[in-house]
Amino acid sequence: MSYLHISCALIILCSIAAGMIRILSGPTAADRMMAAQLFGTCGVAILLLLAKGMDTIVLLDIALVFALLAALATITFVRRAWHEQSGVPRR
Amino acid sequence: MMSYSILTVFDIVLISTLLWLAWKMLRSEDIFKAVVLFISFGLLMALAWVRMRAPDVALAEAALGAGLTGPLFLSALRRMERLHKDERRVDIDEERKSDRTLDTKQKEAL
Amino acid sequence: MITLDNLGILCIVMGLPFFLTGTVGLLRFPDIYTRLHALTKADNVGLGLIILGLSLQADNLFTVAKLILIWILVLIASSASCHLVARSAMQKNIHPWVK
Repeated sequence: MSYLHISCALIILCSIAAGMIRILSGPTAADRMMAAQLFGTCGVAILLLLAKGMDTIVLLDIALVFALLAALATITFVRRAWHEQSGVPRR
Repeated sequence: MMSYSILTVFDIVLISTLLWLAWKMLRSEDIFKAVVLFISFGLLMALAWVRMRAPDVALAEAALGAGLTGPLFLSALRRMERLHKDERRVDIDEERKSDRTLDTKQKEAL
Repeated sequence: MITLDNLGILCIVMGLPFFLTGTVGLLRFPDIYTRLHALTKADNVGLGLIILGLSLQADNLFTVAKLILIWILVLIASSASCHLVARSAMQKNIHPWVK
């Protein structure tokens, strides 16, 4: 157990919870998708800090899977689901 | 003791974020927003499995929730919307179709 | 007293403001391009600093190699998706924000 690593993970978790607002209110579809991408990066950081803080080295493998599959959803979104209607920003 | 209490705070923040996310996902009328919320729900659920000391389930949740179901839902969403509306959108199928017409034109020219 | 452990703690704590800056940028910036800029740069620097700190505290070289592999994968993923989204937005005639 390490106090410092877990409190750093807590701060990053709070930043994820703040980024949720952009998913809920984001004007364009790409904003929502990029906020989900931010959650991937923050999730990797939280997992790495928890791996040190909880003394569970296995969590590095989960972080590796997160990092590997992070781009997949965004690439699928750009290639498939981003149509003209949701791409126009509100002015 | 100190580290124990900060872990409790971490759990409370994680659980309340998960519940808020799930509620917003169920309540949203925009399906695309629900899909994005589902992807981030999967990410946070993997963290919750980690905190429940089940790293193997967390690994499966990270691979399935973040990697597999997100792109599958996005693809399904495109097909669904195309069935409903006749929107014109630039995507991979149109590129394929234009390639095919180009091929037939080339064959005709030959 | 300066040890590797304390240097690692310093790097981890220095990485946190970059994450917070990325989130503030995501919430406050007016345009999709500026938001992309805030997200994909600040967060990766923050993750790099955290990984540097954890590598200074790591037990063996194998863990360090795995941490660096994770960072490289995140860098590739986020830069690729950032360029894809930005180029696709340009093709969809979303104009950049002007004052």
